[in-house]
Amino acid sequence: MKAIESIPDRKLLLFKSCMVGQEYPGVETATRYVFDRLGVDYCINDEQSCCTGIGHYTDVFEGLTTTAIAARNFAVARKCGYPNITCLCSTCYAINKEACELLNTNTEVRDKVNSIFIEKGFDDLVYEKGDMNPRTNFYHAVEILLSKVGKIQEEKKFDFSGIRAAAHHACHYYKVKYLDVVGNPENPQLIDTIAEACGASPVRWYEDRTLTCGMGFSQLHLNKSTSLQVTKTKLDSLQRAGVELMIHMCPNCHIQYDRYQPVIEKEFGVEYDMVHMNIAQFVALSLGADPYKVCGFQTHSVPLEGFLEKTGII
Amino acid sequence: MTDGTTDGLDKAAVFICHCSGNISEHVDIDAVKKTLKAEGISVFDYEYLCSSQGQSLIKNKILEGNLDRVVIGSCTPSKHGTLFKKCVQETGLNRGGLEIANLREQCAWVHPDRTGATEKALSLLRAKLKRLENIEPLEEIKVDIAQQALVIGGGIAGITAALNLADNGISTFLVEKDSSIGGQMAKIGKIFSPDKLAEECAMCSLSPLMNEVAAHPKISLLTWTEIESLSGSAGNFMVRLKKKPRYVKDSCTACGRCSRVCPVPVEDEFNCGYMDKKAISLRFSQSVPKIYCIDPDYCLQLNGEACGKCATACKTGAIDFSQKEEIIELNVGAVIVATGFEEYDVSQKPQYGYGIFENVLTQMELARIMGINGPTKGELLRISDFSKLSNAPKSATCTSGCESSSDHSSDNSSGAETPKRIVMIQCVGSRDEKEGGNRYCSRYCCMAALKHASLIKKKYPETEITICYIDVRAFGFYENYYRAVQETGVNFVRGRPAEVIEKPDKSLVVRVEDTLNQKIRELPADLVVLSAAMVPSPGTRKIASVLNLSQDESGFIKERHSKLKPVDSSLDGIFVCGTAQSPKDVTDAIAQAGLAAVRARAFITDSPKSLDNEIAAINQLLCTRCGECLKCPFNALSLNESGRVVLDPLICTGCGYCTELCKDGAVQVAGFTKSQLKAEIEGVLEEGDMLGFVNSGIASLTCDNIGNSVLTYPSNVKLIKVPTTLVVGRDLVLHAFKHGASSVLFVEDPPDSPRAEVIYPLTTSHFKKLKEELGDSGSRIYFKKTYVPNTKGLAGTFTSLAREGEMIK
Ligand SMILES: Cc1cc2nc3c(=O)[nH]c(=O)nc-3n(C[C@H](O)[C@H](O)[C@H](O)COP(=O)(O)OP(=O)(O)OC[C@H]3O[C@@H](n4cnc5c(N)ncnc54)[C@H](O)[C@@H]3O)c2cc1C
Ligand code: SF4
Ligand code: SF4
Repeated sequence: MKAIESIPDRKLLLFKSCMVGQEYPGVETATRYVFDRLGVDYCINDEQSCCTGIGHYTDVFEGLTTTAIAARNFAVARKCGYPNITCLCSTCYAINKEACELLNTNTEVRDKVNSIFIEKGFDDLVYEKGDMNPRTNFYHAVEILLSKVGKIQEEKKFDFSGIRAAAHHACHYYKVKYLDVVGNPENPQLIDTIAEACGASPVRWYEDRTLTCGMGFSQLHLNKSTSLQVTKTKLDSLQRAGVELMIHMCPNCHIQYDRYQPVIEKEFGVEYDMVHMNIAQFVALSLGADPYKVCGFQTHSVPLEGFLEKTGII
Repeated sequence: MTDGTTDGLDKAAVFICHCSGNISEHVDIDAVKKTLKAEGISVFDYEYLCSSQGQSLIKNKILEGNLDRVVIGSCTPSKHGTLFKKCVQETGLNRGGLEIANLREQCAWVHPDRTGATEKALSLLRAKLKRLENIEPLEEIKVDIAQQALVIGGGIAGITAALNLADNGISTFLVEKDSSIGGQMAKIGKIFSPDKLAEECAMCSLSPLMNEVAAHPKISLLTWTEIESLSGSAGNFMVRLKKKPRYVKDSCTACGRCSRVCPVPVEDEFNCGYMDKKAISLRFSQSVPKIYCIDPDYCLQLNGEACGKCATACKTGAIDFSQKEEIIELNVGAVIVATGFEEYDVSQKPQYGYGIFENVLTQMELARIMGINGPTKGELLRISDFSKLSNAPKSATCTSGCESSSDHSSDNSSGAETPKRIVMIQCVGSRDEKEGGNRYCSRYCCMAALKHASLIKKKYPETEITICYIDVRAFGFYENYYRAVQETGVNFVRGRPAEVIEKPDKSLVVRVEDTLNQKIRELPADLVVLSAAMVPSPGTRKIASVLNLSQDESGFIKERHSKLKPVDSSLDGIFVCGTAQSPKDVTDAIAQAGLAAVRARAFITDSPKSLDNEIAAINQLLCTRCGECLKCPFNALSLNESGRVVLDPLICTGCGYCTELCKDGAVQVAGFTKSQLKAEIEGVLEEGDMLGFVNSGIASLTCDNIGNSVLTYPSNVKLIKVPTTLVVGRDLVLHAFKHGASSVLFVEDPPDSPRAEVIYPLTTSHFKKLKEELGDSGSRIYFKKTYVPNTKGLAGTFTSLAREGEMIK
C-alpha cells in the first residue's frame, strides 16, 4: 500500500495527457490551478511526449516501443530535475510505472532500448537500472490532491454540501498496480475523501462500483454495443442510487461517461440525471475557479449549467 | 576468579574416545597419547566413552587419581555434553573442571588427511588443557518459582488449561474480561466434530466444564477482570489485575427479576448486537459465575438518574450500587495466554454489502440466529424481517419468565419469513493478499459453513443452499463430514464472488464466476452469509503488548518454534494456546491447551530451578558503577538500592553484550571469560591458522553439520565456541593475530528466534565497529551468518579463508 504520508508535493513533473489535452483541456488547467493554490512544486515540460497508452492498448504500439518512449520521458523528467512523474490519466500512470519496472528488472529490454538510443546518438537518454523507482517516482494527480485534503478543506470557497456525488476510480489506477494504491484497492476512497472535503456527500458504495467504465480502448470501437452496455449498467446503477454528480480521475472514463451518456440516452431510450467531471475540476470549483476559463466545462457534452446554477456558482 | 588450585595440570587427565573408528580411523590416537604423555599429562582412551563402561572409566580415574580437571576428546558436546557433565559431577568435581574437545564433527570427519587431523586433534586438546590451567569453577544458580499459575482468557482453551493445571495440583487463577467464561464457543450453538457426521450441542460440552472451573478448589475464577500490568521475571511474575464492579453481590440467585423490571434495553454483544438485553443481565443463561452484572454505561441509576428498580425487585438484596473497582496483585510462576480470536471486520469488503444490506450476515451471526438461546430462539428468519420486529424495545412487555433465555425476548408471529435461498461466501478476509485481508487460511470456516448448511438442511429441507468456495478445506477426518453434507443437496460453486447486490424487496443477488466452467452466475439469495476470517481478539493484541510478547504479522502471539515449541511464547514462563496463537477449531484448541498446561506445570514444579550458569557475572571489586552495562538488550541488569549492579539470572541470556560495554572488565560471561578465551586461543593456534569464533547456537550446529554432511575443509581451520561473538573484543582478536591467526571469522546465528532477533543486529554492528578500530588488521576479520542447512557455504568460506592463510604463510 502507498502511504499517504509518503506522497511528495515537490519536484513533480505534471505529465501531460493526450486525451486530456485533446478532449478536456480544462482538466489540466484545473489541476494546475489547484496545485498552484495548494503550493505544490511542479513543472510542465514540453519535451515530454505521449505515453503511447491508447496506441498500446489498441495494438498499435508493441511493448518495446512503449518502453523506449517511456525511458525517453523518464530522461526528460530527470534532466529537468522534476523526477516525480504525476499523471492526469490513469493509463499514463500505469504505463509509465510498468515500463519503469520492466526497465529495472529486465536486462534484455533495457539493453535493447539503450542500444536504440546509442545508435541514434541519444546517449543522454540511456536508462540505467534504478534511475527511477517504480514505487516512489510515479503518482496520479489525485494522490497529490488527497495528500492535501486538509488544505483543500481550509481553502474551499464553495461548499457543495448536500450534493450526492459518486466516485468512479480508474481501473488503470487501482486494478493494474493494486499493491500500490492509497488505501484498500477493493474499495478505493481517494475521490470520495477529497469530494467530502469539498462538502459533497459521497455515495460510498453503489452497485457495480468496481465495474469498468466500459471504454476498453479498442472495445469502444470494435465491440461498441458491449462497451456501451457496460456503461449503461453503470449509469443505471448510479441513477438508482440517486447520484447527481459523478466524479472521475481519468480522461478515458471521462469520455466514456460524458461523451456517451447522450448517445446511450438516445440509443436505449433512457434518461439520466447526472453530470460528470474530473476530481481536479471539482476541487478547482470548490476553491473558487472559473467554471469555463479554468475548468473548461464548455468542452463537455453533458451540460453542467444546471448543476452550476443549482450550486450557485453561475 | 580461581579456587586456589592454580597449580597447573598435575591433577589433570585427558580421555579420548575412539567412537568405534569414527575418530580413531582419522586421528592417530596413539601418537596423540604419546605426545601428551611426554608432556607429563595422563591420557586414557576407550572405544566408547559414552557407554556406561566408558563413564565408569572416567569416574574411576577421577577418584583414583584425585583429579580436579578433565578434558574429554569425543563427539560434539551438543551430543553428549550433558551426559559427561553429569558423569564428572557425580564424582564431586565442579563442572568448571570439565572441558570437551570436539574431535569428531570438527576434526576427524572433516579432515581426511590423517596427519592434519592428528595435529588438529592435538591442538584442540591442548587448547582445552590450557583453558584448565586456571580453573574457574562455575557456581550453581538456583531460584525459587512461585507455586501458582495464571491463565488469561476463559474460552475453551483457557478453561481447558486451567482445569489441567488444577487437576495436576497447581493453584490456578483464571482471569476473564467478560462477566462470564465460555468465550466464543458459548455462542456457536452446535459444533462439528471430526468423527461423527453429526453436530453436537456446544453448550452441553462446555457447560459442565465451566461449572467444574467454578467448583474446583484449586481454581480462583476472576471474571469481569482485566490485566493491568505484568512485571518481574519467569518464575516470579507480579501481575496487577483490575476487577470491575458488577454492582451485584454474590448472593444473587439469578432469578432474573431485576432484568425484567429494568427499563433500559441495550445491545447484546453476545447476540451480535441485537437489542435483546437489559442494563442488568447475565451474559447468557448458562453463565459462570451465575451472577447478574450491571452495564455501567447504560444503567440509569449509575448515570445519575433515580431508578433503582432492580434493587427493589431483588429479593436477596444483591444489588449494590456502591461497589468499587478492585486492584488485585498476584505472584505467579507461569502464565498461559488464551485470549482468543474475533471475526474479521467484513465491512472492509464493501462489495459484499455487510453493514449496508440487512440480509448479509456473518457465520457467527447465523450461529446466534440458529442458537436456541439466540435472538429468535433458534428460528431461522430473514434478518430484514426480524430486525423490524426487534427494533421496538420490548422491555415492558416482556413477561416471559423463562429462565433459560429470560433476557432474550422475541415474538416471531408477525410475518417474518424463513429464507428460502441462502448463499455462503467463504474465505472473506482469509486467503486474501489484498490490503486489509489476511494471507492465511482461518481453518474453521469451511467446516462452520458445512455445519450450518447441514443444520439448516435438517430443519428446513426445502432451503436451497449454495456455498461459494475457493477450496473446501475439510482437513483430516472432516472430509467424511464434507461428503455427507454434499449428499444433502447443498450446492457448491467454486469461485470467489465479486459482488452482492440488493434488490428493492431486500433480497440479494451474488455475482460469481464459477471457475470450473468459467461462467458468470448470478445467485439469488434471501440471506448471504460471510465466512469471516479469524483474527486475533482485541484482548489478544492488548495482552501481547502488556506482556511484551512477540506477535506474527497478523497479530497472533508467536510461538517460539512452530514444531518443537508450539506453546512457548517468546518469554520464558509465558505460554500460549488456542486461537490467540493461530486460527484453529475447538478440537485443536483443547489439545494445545493441554500441552500449555503441561509445559506451565513443568516450569513451576522445577523449583528451585537451576539455571544455565553460562550467564553474566559481575565482579563487584572491578565495577565502578558507571552504569554502561545497564544497556543490556534484555534488561537483565539493574542497580539495586545500594547502587550495586545486579543481574537477574532468569532474564540474562548470556549473550555477552555487557562484556563489550564494560570498560573495566567487571562483567564476564561465566565459562567464557577473557582469560579462558585467551588461553584457548594460545592453545589452539598455529602460525597461519584461520580462527573462527562460533556462536554456540545455530552457528555451532551448522559447523557440526559440516561433519555430518561428509564435507571437508583444511585442518588449519580452528574453531572456538562463544556464547555469541559479542564477547570477542578487540583484545581477543589482537591476541589471535599475535598467536599466528592469519584471519579471524565471526560465525553468527541468523535472526530467526525472538532472542536472535535482538542479538543479531548487535553482532553486526559490533563487528563493524571492531573492523574500524582494528585499522589495517581490520581487513583480516570476516563475518558470516549461517543457517543449519548451509553447510556447503560455510565449509567453502572456511576453505577459502584457510587457503589465503596458507598463502600468507
Ligand atoms: C461461526 C463460528 C463457528 C464455529 N464453529 C466451530 C465448530 O463447530 N467446531 C469447532 O471445533 N470450532 C468452531 N469454531 C471455532 C471455535 O469457536 C474456536 O476454535 C474456539 O472458540 C477458540 O477458543 P479460544 O479459547 O481459543 O478463544 P475464545 O473463545 O475467543 O476465548 C477467549 C476468551 O478470552 C477472553 N479474553 C480476551 N482477551 C482477554 C484479556 N485481555 N483479558 C482477559 N480475558 C480476555 C475473551 O473474553 C474470551 O472469553 C467456530 C468459530 C466461529 C466463528
Ligand atoms: S438501576 Fe435501573 S437501569 Fe440500572 S440496572 Fe437496575 S433497573 Fe436497570
Ligand atoms: S477454512 Fe475454508 S473458508 Fe476458511 S479460510 Fe480456509 S479455505 Fe477459506
